[in-house]
Amino acid sequence: MQSGAFDYTGSTVAIRADIAVAHRDFWQKLGRPGSWWTGAERIAIAKASRDALSCGYCRDISRSLSPYGVKGEHTSVPGLSATAIDAVHRVVNHAGRITRSWVEDNTTKWLSKAQYVELVGIVVCVLSIDEFHRCLDLPLEPLPPAQAGEITRYVPDVLRDDIGFVPTIPKDGAVGLEHDLWPGGVSANVLRALTSVPQALRDWLAISAAQYLAVERMGNMVRDEKRSIDRMQMELIAARVSSINECFY
Amino acid sequence: MLRVSAKTTGTRIDLKGVMGDEAAAAEGILFGKELMRLAEAAARRDLSALPKARRELLAVAGPEVLVDAAGVIANFQRMVRIADSMGIPVDNIGSSVSAEVRGVLPIERFASAANSGISHEQVHE
Repeated sequence: MQSGAFDYTGSTVAIRADIAVAHRDFWQKLGRPGSWWTGAERIAIAKASRDALSCGYCRDISRSLSPYGVKGEHTSVPGLSATAIDAVHRVVNHAGRITRSWVEDNTTKWLSKAQYVELVGIVVCVLSIDEFHRCLDLPLEPLPPAQAGEITRYVPDVLRDDIGFVPTIPKDGAVGLEHDLWPGGVSANVLRALTSVPQALRDWLAISAAQYLAVERMGNMVRDEKRSIDRMQMELIAARVSSINECFY
Repeated sequence: MLRVSAKTTGTRIDLKGVMGDEAAAAEGILFGKELMRLAEAAARRDLSALPKARRELLAVAGPEVLVDAAGVIANFQRMVRIADSMGIPVDNIGSSVSAEVRGVLPIERFASAANSGISHEQVHE
């Protein structure tokens, strides 16, 4: 990775050091082979997530009452299938309209549920880091180079199909290599969501601890001593962002 | 969480701020209007509104608040997509706080409410 990535020293406002570290750490992992995608494919997914913001086809989908009936093509990315690119763009631009049947149908088009979960994990982490930059008028960080190596094909020992569109580790299933997944013993459906690829959860938790709050500190509903805004201010922002995205969760 | 944090601190707030009502956002929440404007401009990717919202928050609250607010915005741009792309249901849909929030805010019309077992037919009944 380029030295000096996420060097915020030139920013017009001082950026907390832990944010720079969290962003830099994720960038180092981004180009490495994952559980189901190679380093090159992970970088292609990240590139597609950036392309999605200016996608004309996505604009047509947004205007349509039926998001799966619109004909067209997303911006292509070398090394990534049309199904994977469609998944990236729908996560970025139409997440609230994703359905179980679409996820299931994709498994017949060479996008397994495990691949989908890792893809979502990449997209949401890249998107949130980019959003932080856009919010503060900072230039986007160049994507890191892809690293060679084999994917791990890692599957957790305990998975259950009881919530959502994909299998997840149940609350009592974070054992063995997954013993670290519930920080402070806390679990919730949103923590379980990406656990069929455990590293995807670890990646977003690390970023979340810097951008928002560590899970272990979320019990403090008044004010975290390391933040300049209190919990109500944080949750007003969170709720407004969720509302605009039409997220019921 | 907003409702819970307000109850914890005994603060009177107006949940309609969540839907974009500026006066409501300011009720009981310091810099509520400016924080909401920044969140709104960023989440809508409104490039004409974002610089103004950023300047306004910086002017009234300072750089630390601006950075922490940007962090929370970035975080929830991620969280909503995790929840909706995985189709997970709300953990405590039967709780009194959840019912209270759903009673005030028209969020059951969101398509992703179906992931928590709330159908549009139920909403429109």
